[in-house]
Amino acid sequence: MTGVILRNVEKSFGAAKVIHDVSLDIPKGAFSVFVGPSGCGKSTLLRMIAGLEETTGGKIEIEGQDVTDQEPARRGVAMVFQNYALYPHLSVFENMAFSLRLARAKQSVIKQKVHAAAEILKMVDQLDKKPSQLSGGQRQRVAIGRAIVREPKVFLFDEPLSNLDAELRVQMRLELARLHREIGATMIYVTHDQVEAMTLADKIFVLKDGFVQQAGAPLHLYDDPDNQFVAGFIGSPAMNFIPARVTGRSDGLIMAQPDGAGAITLEAKSTGEGLSDGTIVTLGIRPECLRPAETGLSAKIEMSEELGGVSYLHARLAGDRPLVVERRGIREMLEGRTIHLTADPADILVFDPDGRRLR
Amino acid sequence: MIQTRKIENIILSVITLCAAAIWVFPLYWAMVTSLRRESRVVSDSAGLIPDEFNLTSYIDAILNTRLLTWYWNSIGTSLIITVVTVVTSMMCAYAISQMRFPGRRLLYLVVLASFMIPAQALVVSQFILMNDMGLINTWGAIILPQLIVPVVIIVYKQFFDAVPKELREAVLLDGGGEYTLLFKVYLPLNWGITAALSIITFIGAWNAFFWPFLVATSESTMTIPVGITQVQDTFGVQYARVMSVALLGAMPVAVAYLLFQRRVTEAVMISSGVKG
Ligand SMILES: Nc1ncnc2c1ncn2[C@@H]1O[C@H](COP(=O)(O)OP(=O)(O)OP(=O)(O)O)[C@@H](O)[C@H]1O
Ligand SMILES: [Mg+2]
Repeated sequence: MTGVILRNVEKSFGAAKVIHDVSLDIPKGAFSVFVGPSGCGKSTLLRMIAGLEETTGGKIEIEGQDVTDQEPARRGVAMVFQNYALYPHLSVFENMAFSLRLARAKQSVIKQKVHAAAEILKMVDQLDKKPSQLSGGQRQRVAIGRAIVREPKVFLFDEPLSNLDAELRVQMRLELARLHREIGATMIYVTHDQVEAMTLADKIFVLKDGFVQQAGAPLHLYDDPDNQFVAGFIGSPAMNFIPARVTGRSDGLIMAQPDGAGAITLEAKSTGEGLSDGTIVTLGIRPECLRPAETGLSAKIEMSEELGGVSYLHARLAGDRPLVVERRGIREMLEGRTIHLTADPADILVFDPDGRRLR
Repeated sequence: MIQTRKIENIILSVITLCAAAIWVFPLYWAMVTSLRRESRVVSDSAGLIPDEFNLTSYIDAILNTRLLTWYWNSIGTSLIITVVTVVTSMMCAYAISQMRFPGRRLLYLVVLASFMIPAQALVVSQFILMNDMGLINTWGAIILPQLIVPVVIIVYKQFFDAVPKELREAVLLDGGGEYTLLFKVYLPLNWGITAALSIITFIGAWNAFFWPFLVATSESTMTIPVGITQVQDTFGVQYARVMSVALLGAMPVAVAYLLFQRRVTEAVMISSGVKG
């Protein structure tokens, strides 16, 4: 069953259109992540699902119910904000109890639900404190508790971890994953951090400029991106892109000469449909797919980042094009040297001049 | 370096002390005068040093003037003005700050504009209005025109504007409406400023002289500042009695001020635009 469905959803602020014809299916019970660069419309989309922004066009359904024009509180959604948005004058308990009190729940019910939520979040001994007496991580936990107490159909998170320091962020990420396992509710999570997206998501939606670029499981997006944007956005360090000229095709492979690399030819797995010799394409190669070879792209290594088990070589190709190479188990000093690199045809993705993937 | 600092401090302290002395002297003089027998107040023997402790003029003020009625009128009108002004201004400011409706900007401009019109400019028309409404010599006439205090709306609006919009959205998601927002979140978050605005509104209403003087012509509806003008008899001004009435009249405000000193300073600073 589908948790949330968006059909041809659009949003304009005055004359500026920020969401263009977005249609997506968010599976029930799954952890879905909207990811994309700053300003791409992730928050706007999330707020439209919450009902905090009106939709300019299209339809939103939550568990089979059309909620497009419904009040936020009636949609069965709860939201966790980046800046926590706790009620500063109320205790932790009262923050969590707020919605229940508004719904005129019995005191015993309120107590039981708040305690259950506090139990999940390990906040039982903090219930009497005011938000100002809590650390950032604890505050965010209260905000999550406030959501849990409402037992919503959908949890919405808008960059909930971005105000926390790096260590806490990792810890809270694990806790969110645990929380999702424990309560199994539909969760939609917005972030611009692709690592967060990769680690948390069952399904990722990559957004750019108000369009959904691609949706799918994290590894699917990593292995099989639909376009150059997704290929470059997912993965860290990012995929290398090298412009190249098509020189020939033969059963499922295309030959291409990278820009300024002389007579070197790379083979990439692609039917090359619609490509004629001489067309300029972009080759995409992940850093871990590049390996040394007798002949191949020659790259001058400018700097290497040694992280122990893995090193990243930052190199330059002919024409000053940057290239990142991942190496494992090698610790020799390579800075200043020139090496030759190649990759398997299956590991080289081909993109047309518009950035579309040519499979 | 430290030496000059010290000297600077001493000089500053002396100047402040002098200013305080100048300010406090009338008060002191009123007190000394009110404790003298009427016959001695203007005589040669009345010096700067208090030399008598005579409560006659106080007793006189309470028994022979309508001080208690004036007290009651002052307390009643000031309290009503304070409560109504603060509550309505708060709601108005909330609407202007948080709700989206056609004419919102215009409404705020009207508030700002009315802030710039001096009260004196309205006196004649307001008096005629009160007269037409048959309210002269009633609390109504004293209260109604004093209910419009644009600065309270403006200050509230600024504070409401500063509440993060996510709080509002959290309440909407939690199932609250505008009343919940205003009374359960925006007001509790702004208790400090509410207290401060209430106090300055109260002090303003208590001290108001000009307007109540115009519309309260019978002794039974006068407030204390107006009543003081009545404390004289056919033989002329009785200084001791006037001073004792004035001191008694100022006392509630002084007590309120002492109790809420910090809040009052805060309020004066905010409403004069130093802060906020
Ligand atoms: N209330 C608004 N009025 C006008 N434009 C807005 C409004 N809210 C958002 N926008 C615009 O819509 C676009 C998308 O904004 P949104 O906040 O959804 O981005 P985002 O993907 O969440 O970015 P970030 O990662 O920085 O939070 C931006 O260009 C922004 O300027
Ligand atoms: Mg955002």
